[in-house]
Amino acid sequence: MTRRIALALLLLGAPTAAGGQQRASFDHEKHRKVFPACAACHLGAAQAGAALLPAATVCASCHDGTVQPRVAWRPRDTWPATNLRFDHATHRAAIARLAAGAASACVACHAEPDAPWMVVTPVKAERCFDCHGIDAEHLAAPDAECARCHLPLAEARNLTPRDVAGFPRPPSHLDPAFASGAVHGARAAAKTPGGVLRSAQSCATCHAREFCVSCHVDAPEQPVIQAFEPDPRSVAIQARLRRPASHADPAFLVRHGAAAGASCRSCHARESCLSCHATPPAGSEALAVAAPGRGTGAVIRRHAPASHVDGFAEAHGAQAVANPTQCGACHIRPDCQACHRPAAGAGPGYHGDGFLARHPAAAYARHTACTDCHNAGSFCSTCHQRAGLVAPGPLRSGYHDAREFFIVGHGQAARQSLESCVTCHAERDCQSCHSALGGRRFDPHGPGFDAGRLRRKNPEMCTACHGAAIPG
Amino acid sequence: MTAARLWATATAALSALASPVGAQAYRARLDVGAQSVAYRGVTLDSVPVGDTLAGAGGGPVSPDGFAVTCLGADPYCTFFRPGPERQAGPVTGVADISVWGFGVPGLRMRASARVSGDLGDAKIWPGTDPEFELLEGYAEYAGPRLTARAGRITVFSRLGVAALDGSSVALRLAGRALELDVYAGWGLGRGAVLPITSSVLNPLDEYRPGKREIVVGGGVRWSDRWVDLGASYRREVDQRSEYFVSERFGLSGALRPVAGLSLTFGADYDLAQAVWGSGEATLAYRHHVFDAAAGVRRYRPHFELWTIWGAFSPVPYRSVHGRLAVRVTPWLTLRTQGERYSFDDTETDTPLADAETDGWRWMWGGTVTVWEGLTFDAGYHVEFGAGAASRGIGASASYAPRPEIRVTAHGSTLERPLEFRYSTADLTILGIELEGRVRRRARMALGLARYADSRERPDAGSFDWNQVRLTARVSVEFGRGTETTAPAVINRLPSGRVAR
Repeated sequence: MTRRIALALLLLGAPTAAGGQQRASFDHEKHRKVFPACAACHLGAAQAGAALLPAATVCASCHDGTVQPRVAWRPRDTWPATNLRFDHATHRAAIARLAAGAASACVACHAEPDAPWMVVTPVKAERCFDCHGIDAEHLAAPDAECARCHLPLAEARNLTPRDVAGFPRPPSHLDPAFASGAVHGARAAAKTPGGVLRSAQSCATCHAREFCVSCHVDAPEQPVIQAFEPDPRSVAIQARLRRPASHADPAFLVRHGAAAGASCRSCHARESCLSCHATPPAGSEALAVAAPGRGTGAVIRRHAPASHVDGFAEAHGAQAVANPTQCGACHIRPDCQACHRPAAGAGPGYHGDGFLARHPAAAYARHTACTDCHNAGSFCSTCHQRAGLVAPGPLRSGYHDAREFFIVGHGQAARQSLESCVTCHAERDCQSCHSALGGRRFDPHGPGFDAGRLRRKNPEMCTACHGAAIPG
Repeated sequence: MTAARLWATATAALSALASPVGAQAYRARLDVGAQSVAYRGVTLDSVPVGDTLAGAGGGPVSPDGFAVTCLGADPYCTFFRPGPERQAGPVTGVADISVWGFGVPGLRMRASARVSGDLGDAKIWPGTDPEFELLEGYAEYAGPRLTARAGRITVFSRLGVAALDGSSVALRLAGRALELDVYAGWGLGRGAVLPITSSVLNPLDEYRPGKREIVVGGGVRWSDRWVDLGASYRREVDQRSEYFVSERFGLSGALRPVAGLSLTFGADYDLAQAVWGSGEATLAYRHHVFDAAAGVRRYRPHFELWTIWGAFSPVPYRSVHGRLAVRVTPWLTLRTQGERYSFDDTETDTPLADAETDGWRWMWGGTVTVWEGLTFDAGYHVEFGAGAASRGIGASASYAPRPEIRVTAHGSTLERPLEFRYSTADLTILGIELEGRVRRRARMALGLARYADSRERPDAGSFDWNQVRLTARVSVEFGRGTETTAPAVINRLPSGRVAR
């Protein structure tokens, strides 16, 4: 039997390279009529101190170049890295039980049931489960059972980071909910009846402290994480923070402040807040400041809230003045002043490229209130004056040349777009016709004009056209 | 202002900011921007009536083909020739500094100042005068329930963005849900940080008060999870005559009854003239797949009473508007928005020169995000209404190989017909812009764009001309002390965030 076990192990190791030299593989099935027992070659599986693989001279007893051609096979020098606790010596008693009444106990693990003699296959974990009473697929085994067969990662020192990166992923980890603290955190923090953290028995098989720290900002404060042994190889398995479902709510960005606090500290450092907020907001004091030994946590990119869609800039006023505190969470005063007190050298900003060319359309009908940001005198009139649009001296016709009689029929345009008119015209231009003191004495007052009220509020305005004889 | 003087001033300002200050911590930001732009206006000219000829359309033209306007018995007809190309090079530097840690928790000083100049061959670009402006400069004390400022301050309210030299006090009560604020001081011009008496604000020599107005105002706001409500009041009084220059009242708010749904509204009333000003109400619903909004709006200009313009009865327009953005797929977003407006009756009788009484605006576009760093955007807009119209398309491609670098290429075409003047302009713009973070606290942007401008007229006033515009911006932050070491009350007050 032991020979068969050794034979099977030989089969497992045979295809791999060792020492940079190519070794011929051993075809077990081809030799099925030669070997009646596994231990003939794999004595080490049954006998302490013996080699698991036969020496090359054993093969040469037949493959001597005369009876059979010579072969290049030789026993391997190194074995594949593994985190298995298994060794044949400690399972000898069990192997003996299996051997009772059978041709070889080795086939129980190293061959498929009812397979012909010496048709060996790689050992499956389920064969271990058969004896250990575990009724599950390998990766679906209960958490507590991992440690039965596997060493913790930190103790499996011959595994390379590449080996670790190649660990298979248990089905439980594929559940989108697994990433949440309520699932994987709760599992890690659960204790066995003996008071041992389950994480030490299951999670530690594949993970070590550095793996947890790659996400958890609050790792130093988490006893479960600190219970893991440190092992830098563990980050070969890359973890990625997933956004909780609650964060996908469009309203979350606006309302997350109310819930901000200790619940955020696993994934967020205080710097998370400062990615968007101008200064640490309420609730951020519960978060740790980024530091060595802590995870980076969620990397926040500053996103405009859902409300800041196209056109928001033109209509933000009502909201901004009703609750400036909300705006102040992300914006500082220079943000406001960048548009409301525009700098001539700043280039395109609020309006974008080419706005100068199309500003008449926006200005005539006042798409927005231009004077919230631009002084009509220093900005509009100055530019129009320098561009030659302001007629010096008496009011003359000529500029509004698309309407031959514009000067005698401009009233409608003036009352509709008076703010535009005054960027080129001063009061004297209009008073040449619209003053009670001279000219044509055309009455400029129209709908909504309350002479009595204006006179009470500021009669000086009335005197500009009426002199001391203000009517009414 | 010469270039040497400009940069000397900028350097001096930078040096002043960089020098140690006698406080525990400070934070400063310096933004410098420059443009190279060309401009072409018009030049008034005239021709004797007897020298005019009949143009192709039957109207009079000058001997060299310009359509002219002749009035009554005036012996000369007037017209506007294309003006010369004038090169401008506006340069501005804005320094913003906050200083705290004077031994009094909550006390800080803040100043924001701008230096401007024009490096071009003609000082034509607006906004470069005066050379120095103090945007804000105040001392502030901020506690959990109280914020007081004194100096040059800016007040943001429903009634607009107003600057004044004075002081303000804000009280926060009921767990900071209720806020009361009052302010008073000497007013500054609308959209400016200069007194109304400044000649810079009065290039056309309009009527202006001889002294600055006294401004008094205040507001009350309530904010909780479901609602924001605010009311504002402001009056401006002529110091010399003690008459009102302006007196207004405003309301604004937002309701959020359920997640994603909001109603934003606001209105202002001119108490001095007893007329409603502007107002709006917008109902919006935001879903992770789409964003939709619809609303009504009213716009009426506001004129202070030191001018006669308010007595000319400007009329408001009323509009309905809507917008819709749909995230069709994770990588494609489509959007559209439009507005239709109509002016109130002007009660004028102008059969010889009527104007459009209503108009509309509409745009649509889409954004394709190939991956997080590569984005394509394209859109079309059209605007038609009183005075002018425009329509055009634009597109851009933006690529960010790394988070700190972004390059954007853009192009657009535009038509801009005017209602009262023969000058339909066609404009084509092609450009590229590079933005990047040079260091952790320094950002820069460079832009290059070619403008091809074509003025189409049925007379000799048409012309084509091209120009290349250059823009450059640099923002630098520096300071001492960190967010975490700043006093809590200071941390609650936005100031000096790292530029993004």
